[in-house]
Amino acid sequence: MGIIEVRDLRYSYPNATSPALKGIDLTIDKGEFILLTGPSGCGKTTFCRTLNGLIPHFYNGDMEGEVTVTGLNIREHPTYKLAQHVGLIFQNPDNQIFALTVEKDVAFGLENQGVPKDKMLEAIGWALETAGIDHLKDRATHEMSGGEKQRLAIASILAMKPKVLVLDEPTSFLDPLGAERIFRVLDTLNKEYEMTILLIEHRVDLATQYVDRVIIFSDGRITNQGSPEEVFTDGATRLAGVGIPRVIELNDRLKSKGILLDRTPLNPTMLVEQLRGHIKRGNANRKAVDPDLDLFTGEQWVNPIIEVEGVSFSYPSVDKALDDVSLTIHKGEFVAIMGENGAGKTTLVKHLNGLLRPQEGRIKIDGADIADLSVANLARKVGLVFQNPDDQLFSENVEEEISFALRNFGFASDVIDKRVDWALNLLDLERYRKSSPFILSGGERKRVALGSVLAWDPEIVVLDEPTIGQDYAQKERLRHFLMQLRTQGKTIIIVTHDVEFVAECKPRIVLMADGKIIADGPIKKVMTDRDAMARASVAPPEITKVFQQLSELGLPDNVLDVDEAVDVLSQVLEVSK
Amino acid sequence: MSLLEGLRFTRGDSLIHRLDPRVKFLMTMVIFTSAILFMDLLPLLVIFLVQIPLVFIAEIQQEWTKSLKGSVFLATIIFSTNLISYYFFQGRSLNTENVETALALTVRFLNLITSFSLFFLTTSPDKLSLALEKARIPYEFNFAFITAIRFVPVLADEAQSIMDAQRSRGLELDKGSFLTKIRKYIPILLPLIINSIRRSLDLAEAMESRAFGATRDRTNLFELVMEGRDYAVVVISLVLLAALVYMKLYLPPFEPLFPYRVLI
Repeated sequence: MGIIEVRDLRYSYPNATSPALKGIDLTIDKGEFILLTGPSGCGKTTFCRTLNGLIPHFYNGDMEGEVTVTGLNIREHPTYKLAQHVGLIFQNPDNQIFALTVEKDVAFGLENQGVPKDKMLEAIGWALETAGIDHLKDRATHEMSGGEKQRLAIASILAMKPKVLVLDEPTSFLDPLGAERIFRVLDTLNKEYEMTILLIEHRVDLATQYVDRVIIFSDGRITNQGSPEEVFTDGATRLAGVGIPRVIELNDRLKSKGILLDRTPLNPTMLVEQLRGHIKRGNANRKAVDPDLDLFTGEQWVNPIIEVEGVSFSYPSVDKALDDVSLTIHKGEFVAIMGENGAGKTTLVKHLNGLLRPQEGRIKIDGADIADLSVANLARKVGLVFQNPDDQLFSENVEEEISFALRNFGFASDVIDKRVDWALNLLDLERYRKSSPFILSGGERKRVALGSVLAWDPEIVVLDEPTIGQDYAQKERLRHFLMQLRTQGKTIIIVTHDVEFVAECKPRIVLMADGKIIADGPIKKVMTDRDAMARASVAPPEITKVFQQLSELGLPDNVLDVDEAVDVLSQVLEVSK
Repeated sequence: MSLLEGLRFTRGDSLIHRLDPRVKFLMTMVIFTSAILFMDLLPLLVIFLVQIPLVFIAEIQQEWTKSLKGSVFLATIIFSTNLISYYFFQGRSLNTENVETALALTVRFLNLITSFSLFFLTTSPDKLSLALEKARIPYEFNFAFITAIRFVPVLADEAQSIMDAQRSRGLELDKGSFLTKIRKYIPILLPLIINSIRRSLDLAEAMESRAFGATRDRTNLFELVMEGRDYAVVVISLVLLAALVYMKLYLPPFEPLFPYRVLI
C-alpha cells in the first residue's frame, strides 16, 4: 500500500457548473519525487487540497471516492491532524507567513500542536538548516526577498516533520536561481530524508531533472503518467497542452532526422554526453551571423523613442535602486529587461510613464523631456501592464474594464465603442464582453488587463512579468501576440526572468544587477556573456547550456532554441543507420 | 502621519528594549499617570527631563525627535486654544499664570507622546503579543493582532501597486471636485478589498495546513521571564508613583515659576 492512495476521486466545488475532479485513481509510494503538471484549470490545485483534507473539511461541495494519506482516511481526520503528516506549500509565500520574525514563523505549526520548547528548538534548527536559511533566523519576515520567503514557507512546513510534502507552483514568483535553490532543497529532502514529494509546476525543464515520475492532469483526470522519459516522449502529452522539456524536445526532433541516441536525455549534461560520440569533428562550420544585427528583421535601429540618461533613484528603504542608468530604445524594438528580483527592473520601467521620477538624470520619450508631463499624459504613449491583473480589475464587466482608460483619456463615445470592440477581438475576449472579470480564470484576467491597456493603442507597450503563473499554451499565445504587435510597429519592453520564453522571442536583452545595467545587446551576445549572466543571476536557456558544453568540439555556443539546435546538429551529426 | 511614525517599533538591543513588556508598560503608565496628576509647569518639566535619558538609553532619539516634530502642530493648537480661552473668559486679559498653565498643558501632551514612544518604539509586536497572552487574552485575538501587524507592509505594497496600475490607465486622483475625487478612489479600493478577501482565503488554507487550533494547550517558542532588572524597574516605578501621589495629596501646591503679572 502506498503512502498516498486515491480511489475514484470526484469533486465539485459548491455552485460549480462542472466537476473539478472527474475520477482520479493514483498510488504514490513512500520516497517518490513526483512532478504533477497540466494546463491551468486542470484540477491540480484542487487535487492537492484533498491531500490534507482541506477538501472536504474546509471547502464544501460534493466529494466522492476515497483518499488515504499515510494510512489516514482524509474524511475521518481533521486537517490539523493530517497537517502533521502532509505539508502543503502554496504559490504565494506572503500568504503563508504568520509571524514577524523568521524563527517565530517556523515555530508557528509546532506551537499550534503544543510541542514543548526544547523539541521545538531542535526541529526549527533542522528545518532552517535544510531550507538553507539558518543565517536568517532573526530576520524580520517582511524584509526578506521572494526566494527567501519561499524557503521560509518550506522551512515552516518542514519543522512539523511531515512525511509527504506537496508544493503548488512554489517557484512561479522566483528568479531562475531562486527556483534552482528550491529544487535543490527538495532534492535533499527526497534523497536524504526519504520524504515523498509531490510538486506542481508549469516550468517542466528544471523539474524534470529531479523527479522519478511525471503525472499529467487534464480536465480533472490523469491523462498520462510514468517516468519523465515515457511521458514526455508520448504524443498524448503534447496534445494535453503541456510543455515538453527542451532537451527531450531536441532529442525527439533529432530522432525524426534519423539521429538516434541510446537514452532519452533529462538534462543538458546527459544530452551532451551522448552527442559527443556522434559528432563528426571539423564539420561544424556555420554561416557567420553578425550578432549586432537584429535577429528578427535583420535591421539596425535608427529612431530612438526612449532615451534614459544617467538616471538614479533611491527608495526611502532602498538606496540606489537605480544607479546611473543610461539606455536608448528605438522605435519598433523588442527589449527584455532581465535580472534578479530586486535588481531594479520594475523601478526602471516605472520611470517610463512617470510613476517614478528620476532623482538624477533625465528621460526623453519621443525626443521630449518627460519631467513636466503627468502620468496620464505619458500613459497615452507608454502603456504599462502590471504583473498581477488583480491589482487593477474592478469593473462590473469586461467591456467596462477595457473602456476605463479610454474614458479617463476623454475619448469620444463612438471611438470608445470601436476601440473596445477592437481590443476584445484582438485578445479573443469577445464572448466575455458582459461577464464580470472576477469570474474569469487567471490567464483570462491577465488578457483583460492587457486589453485594457492596448485599447488606447499606445506606441510603447511595457509588460511586467507577463509569463508568471502562465501555462505552456498561454505562454505560446502570448509570444505570438507579441510578435503580432511587433509587426504593427510597436515598441515592446518586457520585464521577465523567464529565460526560456526570452530564448524563443529573441528580443534585445538588457541585463540588470544592483540597479545598474551590466550588459545590453542582442540576445546571442548577452546570453553567452557568462560573467554578466552570473552577475545578474540569470541562468542560460537549457539549449544554450547544451551548446556551451559542446563548444569545445567547435560548435557555436550561442544556440538558443530547439529549432536552431536541430539546424546546427543535423549538419554535424552522423545519421544512424 | 509622522506622529504615528514615532510609534512604529524599531529594532534594537538596548536595556529598554530588553525589559519585560509588562514591566515597560507599568513604567509607561507611571509616567503617564504622573503627567496627568500635575497641572503645574515645574513637575511636568521635571517629568519631561527625566524621560530624556531613557530615550537615549533606548537609542531612539531619531524616531523620538520625529514624533515630537510631528506633534508640533497639535502642541501649538493646545497652547493657543488655552491662551485664547483664558483671554476671553477673563474678560479680554491675560496674566503670567495663564501662560504658565497653557505651557504646562502643552508639556503634559509632550510627556504623553514621549512615554508612548518609549513603549511602542522599543517593544516588538511579538513581545507585546506574549504580554497579551500572559494577560490571558484568548489566543485568537492575539493571533489577529499579530496578523494585522504582519500584513501592514504587505497591504501597503499592494495599495501602491494598485495605484500605479490605475494611474497607468489614466486615472488622475488629484483632479476634480471633492465628490469626484472620492469617486476616483473606487478603482483603488475595490481591487484592494477583493484581493484582501482572496488573501484571507489563502491565509485560512495556510493556517489549516499549519495545524492551527490542533490543541487548546498551545506552547510558545519564547516565554516572558522576569529578570533582576525587571524587578528593579518595577520597584523604582512603584516607589516613584507613591512619592508623586504623596506629593500631590499632602505637600503644598507648587509655586508658579514666574511672578504674577498682568500681560494684557
